[in-house]
Amino acid sequence: MSILSTKAKREAGRHLTGYLFISPWLVGFLALSLWPILQSLYLSFTDYSLLEAPRWIGSANYKDIVHDPLFYKSLTVTLTFVFASVPLKLAFSLLVAMLLNRSIRGINLYRTAFYFPSLIGGSIAVSVLWRNMFGMDGYINKILSIFGIEGTGWISSPDTALGTLVLLNVWQFGSTMVIFLAGLKQIPKELYESSSVDGAGVFRKFFSITLPMLSPVLFFNLILGIIGSFQMFTSAFIITKGGPANETYTYALFLYEKAFSQFQMGYASALAWILLVIIALFTLLNFAASKYWVFYETEAR
Amino acid sequence: MELSRSRSRSVLIHLLMIAASIVMLYPVFWWVGASLKDASEMSSAAIWPKKPVWDNFVKGWNFSKEYTFARFFGNTLLMEAWNVIGAVISSSLVAFGFSRIKFALSKFWFAVLLMTMMLPGQVTLIPQYIMYNNLGFVNSYVPLVLPHFLGGGAFFVFLVCQFIRGIPRELDEAAKIDGTSTFGLYYRIILPLILPALVNVAIFTFIWSWDDFMSQMLYLNSIDKYTVGLALRMFIDQFDVQWGQLLAMSLLSVMPSALIFLFAQRYFVEGIATTGLKG
Amino acid sequence: MRKPKGALAILSTVITMSLLVTACGGAKSSNSSDPKSSGSAGTADTAKLNIMWWGSQERHDATAQALDLYTKNNAGITFSPQYTDWDGYWKKLPTLAASKSMPDVFQMDAAYIQEYVSRGLLEDLTAIDLGGTIDQGVIDKSKIDGKLYGVPLSYNGTGFVYNKPELEAAGMTLPKKDWTWDEFFAFAEEGRQKLPAGKYAIGDYTTVWNWYQDYQMAYGKGPMFQDGTKLNIDKDLWFTFQKKYEDFRARDIIPKAAVSAATVENDPKADPLLSGLTMTRGVAVGAVSALEKMMPGKLEVVNNPVGPNGGGWAQSTMYWVVSKDSEHKEAAAKFLKWIVSDPEAGKILKTTRGIPISSTIFDSIKSELSEGELLGIEMYNMAADKAMPFAPAPPGWADFVKTYSDTMTEVMFKKKTLDEAFDVIMKKGEDTQARLAK
Repeated sequence: MSILSTKAKREAGRHLTGYLFISPWLVGFLALSLWPILQSLYLSFTDYSLLEAPRWIGSANYKDIVHDPLFYKSLTVTLTFVFASVPLKLAFSLLVAMLLNRSIRGINLYRTAFYFPSLIGGSIAVSVLWRNMFGMDGYINKILSIFGIEGTGWISSPDTALGTLVLLNVWQFGSTMVIFLAGLKQIPKELYESSSVDGAGVFRKFFSITLPMLSPVLFFNLILGIIGSFQMFTSAFIITKGGPANETYTYALFLYEKAFSQFQMGYASALAWILLVIIALFTLLNFAASKYWVFYETEAR
Repeated sequence: MELSRSRSRSVLIHLLMIAASIVMLYPVFWWVGASLKDASEMSSAAIWPKKPVWDNFVKGWNFSKEYTFARFFGNTLLMEAWNVIGAVISSSLVAFGFSRIKFALSKFWFAVLLMTMMLPGQVTLIPQYIMYNNLGFVNSYVPLVLPHFLGGGAFFVFLVCQFIRGIPRELDEAAKIDGTSTFGLYYRIILPLILPALVNVAIFTFIWSWDDFMSQMLYLNSIDKYTVGLALRMFIDQFDVQWGQLLAMSLLSVMPSALIFLFAQRYFVEGIATTGLKG
Repeated sequence: MRKPKGALAILSTVITMSLLVTACGGAKSSNSSDPKSSGSAGTADTAKLNIMWWGSQERHDATAQALDLYTKNNAGITFSPQYTDWDGYWKKLPTLAASKSMPDVFQMDAAYIQEYVSRGLLEDLTAIDLGGTIDQGVIDKSKIDGKLYGVPLSYNGTGFVYNKPELEAAGMTLPKKDWTWDEFFAFAEEGRQKLPAGKYAIGDYTTVWNWYQDYQMAYGKGPMFQDGTKLNIDKDLWFTFQKKYEDFRARDIIPKAAVSAATVENDPKADPLLSGLTMTRGVAVGAVSALEKMMPGKLEVVNNPVGPNGGGWAQSTMYWVVSKDSEHKEAAAKFLKWIVSDPEAGKILKTTRGIPISSTIFDSIKSELSEGELLGIEMYNMAADKAMPFAPAPPGWADFVKTYSDTMTEVMFKKKTLDEAFDVIMKKGEDTQARLAK
């Protein structure tokens, strides 16, 4: 009896400690985020221009969305973007992270240089910069012309615009790369040393040590890459405005225009909740799959 | 023979690194050149202006009659200091709770945490504004800083979680046998080991809140509270943009982030040193 | 239920929790929006006016100075100003409207005013006596349904700027005041004969709905939207117009689609006029001086092409308005009268909001105008003569405008024929009409 109660007490103590640790987030969620989230759910069932009070219209927004060609167009654009840019960016940033994970002189400067493109992503100056690079008489076309290739307006031609945005996104690999870098730092050096003794080659080292050890971080980058790409907004907004002919009209841009340019916040909220469900499905799928390839120290053995 | 081969190899590596860096830094070269251009030269393709207008920096810095950019940099840096402190402390606490303690509903709350990331922020922006407005926090830094103290965003919690999960549990067990409390475990064992991750949290918090123009625009009204991001918009009129000054000041505005990144690197190195010891 | 279990669980907790939070939210009083404006409501003698505008730093500095002057002359009135750039402004204003905390006085643009008026957010300002300051004709043009909701601030209008030295060098006929649409199209064709390859007399405005509207109105078929609820496109006229552009595109009289799509107005690098791609550019009066700064001494102006019914528009597009929720309407109205009519204020504000609407004020600052501003005035004067009414897209049609522009982009890139495009546009118009009729 007394043993049971101390066990129960210890159990209760553990729950309490857990909640204490997550309390900063929990308090913030309940006090600051929950209400706006619920509001947006409620608004998705209303006609809400922002300028006047929301009016309940039931599921009309959702029904309209199903018939809206722009919904399908923007979803297609977004899915294409997700499937093209997430794997490319992961592979590229992992490669760069491994290249930069060495202690040579000046490595800090090199890393900063490599990170720089990601640093300027949000600056208002970038739109001019990108036009300078990808425009008709831009930098890229000048390089191509050396090889006798006639370039096009990369971001203004419907056939190349989305591809260009994907490349731009991959080029801004900095954050993903830095997270990999921190992950690589966490792998104990002894593992590599002992496998070198065993005569393992670069590839075997990568697949038998680096990849498994890095898998939690890789998983993180994958999930966040998916979430981020589904919500891709800034470069489509700044550089192409969704054009030409909606070829880069991402879902988030569609949502944003509905909310702030067309005074249809209710519709936008419905779009947001649909996106949430889509992303949640993708995430769930990945969490389920992660059992087979992500290795946590906590769960190993 | 061995030595000289390794030396030539390291020279080769440096050459490659420098070449790649130049490609990556092309925007900076362009940017510096463009920030020194006169309005009439802006459309020319040349990277460097015929006659550099250093005045863009002087005029840009003193663009407002009331304040110079020093004020706006001061405002932003102060806000950033709080943001970074808040994000690092709270995300590490919360992540520790989620990844090292088994408590009731922990999986549920973690799912909620992830979910908050999946809802596009554009649709919660307005309800959030109404809420802060009712609380009387508009035109203060509270709406910008407070969230960082309360979990620091799901992104960071999840990030730190993944790093903590990569740390062997045996360490915890050993510490527990030594009589370390749960907080002691967090503070003395885990925290030093996840330093690289926390450096990431700090860097990203800094950079992302620097760029978060939308919230700053909504919540800050009076110019004495303006951030650099808001002040930069003052160069943009409906039809008329002061390109030279805008590019000059926005070039300055990315410098703090670049410097933070450069200096925070040191802690990546310290990270391994500690890991090496414990491992 | 095919939703994941987690999401369902989340939803149910979320709903239970909402009760708690709603209770909290409801307890907050709604008028704490502005902590500073407590007490002293209603009187015109003491008030703290919240005031908001968009614009450049020059405008901000001048306005702040004018506000100080007003406070000096009217001891009880102080201001709490806020300002931002154009893009930010149109995000912030709806947010403030949503949170019922709009400023007492704020700047408004003709493109948006109807959205705000139709939702009853703006105070009727017809009672302000503006006689002697603002021309009655200008006031009448600014009225909506017979009421004045915004005090007009400055003159605006449409027209073209052209690159005079380059046109002369090529031996082209220069555009002249009141050129007809036929002359305009002939000018474009002449450009192909006389201008070097890769340079064009005019740009491609196929995607701009109101460019076509201008044509339709010039030929007496009225604006594209009638009573704010009906789409009005004259099929024959539309096809005549669009076929002209299609033919021009095929004959390289206007730039290729990819080239046109790459242009960005007012961008130092991608603006078609600045980059030398086109010799002309359609422009509003307010934008002329910015272009002149980038191409000093090279630009001349002309009004829009005209048809039997006129061409282009010329009127004020910028207003000061008063919020319906303001607690200081009287003080606000008094201040507005002052800011548009007081000579001293006029001297401080100069042309920071365009050509001042009051002729007395305009005369007093005439000598200080820049080259670009004079050019803008010249354009306004040309446009005013044959101007047609200003016809922006009414509330609820933003969606349609986007469809129009997207569909016509597809036409440019030959992804749709004109017939297909016409059907898409008309279909969207019908849908919008049906939605608005609800």
